[in-house]
Amino acid sequence: MRTPATRAAAALAAAVLTASGCGLAAPGTGGAGEGGPVDGPADGAITFQTWNLKAEYEDFFTGVIEEFERANPGAQVRWLDQPAEGYADKLSADAAAGTLPDVVNVAPDLVHPLAEAGMVLDLDEARPGAAGAYTADAWEGFTVPGRDGTYAYPWYLNTGPVFYNRALFEEAGLDPDSPPTTYDELFDQALEMAEATDGGTAMLGQTPGIIDLGLYGSQAMNEDGTRFTFNDAAGVEMVERYKELYDAGALVPESLTQDYTGAGEQFMSGAIAWAPGSAYDLENFRTNAPDLYKNVGITEVITNTGRAHMYLQGLAVSAKSEEPATAAAFAEFVTNAANQEAFAHEVQIFPSTKGSLDDPYFTEEDGTDEGRVRVAAAAQLESATSYTPVVFGDQMQNLLRDEIALAMRGDKSPQQALDDAVDRCNALLEEG
Amino acid sequence: MSRRTKTLLRYTLLLLIAAISIGPFLWQLSTALKGAGENIYSVPPSFLPAEPTGGNFTRVGEVLPVWGYVWNSVRVALATVVLNVVGASLAGYALARLRFRGRRAALSVFVLALLVPGEAVMVALFLMMRSVNLHDTLVAVVLPGMVGALNVLLMYNAFGAQPRELDEAAMIDGADAWQRFTRVALPSVKGTVAVVAIFAFMGAWDDFLWPLIVLSDPANYTLTVGLEYLRGTFVGDQRLIAAGTIIAVAPLIALFFSLQRYFFRGVNEGAVKG
Repeated sequence: MRTPATRAAAALAAAVLTASGCGLAAPGTGGAGEGGPVDGPADGAITFQTWNLKAEYEDFFTGVIEEFERANPGAQVRWLDQPAEGYADKLSADAAAGTLPDVVNVAPDLVHPLAEAGMVLDLDEARPGAAGAYTADAWEGFTVPGRDGTYAYPWYLNTGPVFYNRALFEEAGLDPDSPPTTYDELFDQALEMAEATDGGTAMLGQTPGIIDLGLYGSQAMNEDGTRFTFNDAAGVEMVERYKELYDAGALVPESLTQDYTGAGEQFMSGAIAWAPGSAYDLENFRTNAPDLYKNVGITEVITNTGRAHMYLQGLAVSAKSEEPATAAAFAEFVTNAANQEAFAHEVQIFPSTKGSLDDPYFTEEDGTDEGRVRVAAAAQLESATSYTPVVFGDQMQNLLRDEIALAMRGDKSPQQALDDAVDRCNALLEEG
Repeated sequence: MSRRTKTLLRYTLLLLIAAISIGPFLWQLSTALKGAGENIYSVPPSFLPAEPTGGNFTRVGEVLPVWGYVWNSVRVALATVVLNVVGASLAGYALARLRFRGRRAALSVFVLALLVPGEAVMVALFLMMRSVNLHDTLVAVVLPGMVGALNVLLMYNAFGAQPRELDEAAMIDGADAWQRFTRVALPSVKGTVAVVAIFAFMGAWDDFLWPLIVLSDPANYTLTVGLEYLRGTFVGDQRLIAAGTIIAVAPLIALFFSLQRYFFRGVNEGAVKG
C-alpha cells in the first residue's frame, strides 16, 4: 500500500534540494541543456528508476526493456528500483549531486521540487506533440503552478471505490445492501451506528484531509495556484460535521493523528466500518484479513462534486541527461498505451493513455470481485481529478491534520482551525 | 507491607516491563509464523498461530535475494565493528592518558560531533562520496560511521576511570605508550570494548537512510534497505514483512548473547585486581 507516510521527510528533502540543487553544476551537463525540442535517434545508454516495483513486477519490466532495446538498436537501459521508504530523500540527494537517473518514476508532489530546481525536462517544450497520447486530465496532473510546462509523462492511475464492513453494518442495524450514497446519509448512518453500538464501533477512521475537503466541494487553491482557499464554506461545513461525529464516537479517537495506512489497518481489524480505498486493496484484504474479505461490501465514492479523486504516477526525464533523446523515447515507450494496458493486467491500476479505458477489460465485468471493482473504478476515472495540489507537501498535510485535530477536540472552532491551517500553508508556500 | 507482597509487587512490575519490551517482538514472531488463512489484524489479537508455518521465511528468500543483502550487511557491520573498536580505543586512550598539545580541543571536537544530527550533513556527505567516486559502493556505507564520536567518548571514560598509578607503575617499569596501551590499559576495559562493538554493529546493521541514499544498484543493498521491498507498492503481506524483520533481528540477538558475558562487566570495570 503506497501511503503519504512513505514520502517521509519530504519537506526536509525539498528544502535541501532548493538549497543545493540550483547551485551545483552537475558533471556531464550539456546534454539536454535549456529549452528547445529534444530529438534524434534513441541509441544511447540510460538509467531508468522505478519506485518499489522490482520485487513483484521484475518480469514485466525486464520484458519492456528488452523490447525497447530490440526496437532501438544501440539503446541500453539500466533498470534501478528504489524501495518505498525514503524515496523523496533519495531523489533530492540524487538531484543535488547530479546523479538523477535519466528516466525517473515520480508522483506530482515529487516532481514539483525537481521542476522548481530545473532538474527535469519541460516536456511541452522538449517533446511537442507527446501530450496527444494521454488523457488531458492526466497530462495536466504534472503541470506546476506558476510555471509553464509539464514535467513528467503520465503513467499509471489509481482510484477506487469505498469498502465497507457488511457485518458491522448489520450489527448496528443498518442495511448492508443499501450503503450511504451521499454525505448526509453517511453522517446519519455513522451517528446511528455509534448510538446502536454505544460508541463501540465507529464508521470512520480518518479526519478529513485535503482530498476529502475537495470531494466535499471545497476549493483547495485559488485559480492561479498562489494561495490556499480550503477554509471556504464547504470546508468549514465538512469539519463541523466531523466534529459532531467525533463527539458522538462515530470517528475513532485515533483518527486525530492517523493517516491512510493507520485507517486501512483499522478497517482490516474491524474497528471501523467505512474505508475509501484503491482498486488493488481488495487483494490486501484477501491477504491480510481473510475474514473481512468475505464480509466486505463495495460501493461508489461519495462526492459533492461528481468527480472522484485519482492518484497519479509519472515518468520524468532528467534535464541533465546525456542521452535526452533516448530517455524521452524510453519514457514514452513505457507509458504508451500497449505497455500501460499490459501493466494494468499485472496489477489493479489504470492506464492514463487516451482510449485505453474503452478496452473491454475495463468496461465489462468478468464475474469476479476484482472485475467488478475494476469496471467501477474505470468508470469513475472518466471524470476523476486530482484534488491534491502539487505544492501541498507532507508538511502541509501534517499541519492540516493537526489543526483539524484541535477542532475535533474543541480547542478551536472549525472555522478558526481551517483559517490557521490556510495561513500556515500559505506561509510555507511563500518560503518555497 | 509484608515481605511477600513486596516480592509479589516487584515481580508483577518486572513481568509488566518484560511484556512491554518483549511483547512486540513476540508479536512479530507470531505474525511471521501465521498461515495464509489467518487474520493479521484480528481483534482481540491471537498470539498463537492457528496454522503455524515456516513457509513465510522461505518465501522471503523467493521474493528477494535476501542472502545477498545479508552478506552485504554482514560485511558492512563487521568492517564497522573492527574500525570502531580499533579507532575508538586508540583515540580514547590518547585523549585519556597521553599528554599532547590540543588535547582539550580534540576532546571537545568529539563532544561537539555528538550534537550534529546525521541527517543534516547527509547530502554533503553524499556529494563528498560522489566526488571521490565511491558512491554506490559498500565502502561509502562504512566510511561515515567508521569511528563514532560516542564510542571514542565511551573508551575515553573507560580508560580515564583506571587509576593513574597503574599507568605510572608501568611507565616506571619502562613500558612505552604502545605497551602500556596494549598490555595494561586495554585488557581491563574489555567490557566497554564489547559495548562499543555491539553499538557499532547495531548502528551499521540497522542504518537505513544513509545506505539508501548512497547506494543505487539493488545488488549492493544492505538488508534494511532490501527488506523495504517486502512492503509492496500495492499489496503488502504482513507475514512476509514480519518474517523479514525476524531475519534482520536474529544476528543482533545472537551477537548480544555471545557478548553478554562481557557486556555486563562494564559496570565494575576499572577496579584494580588484587
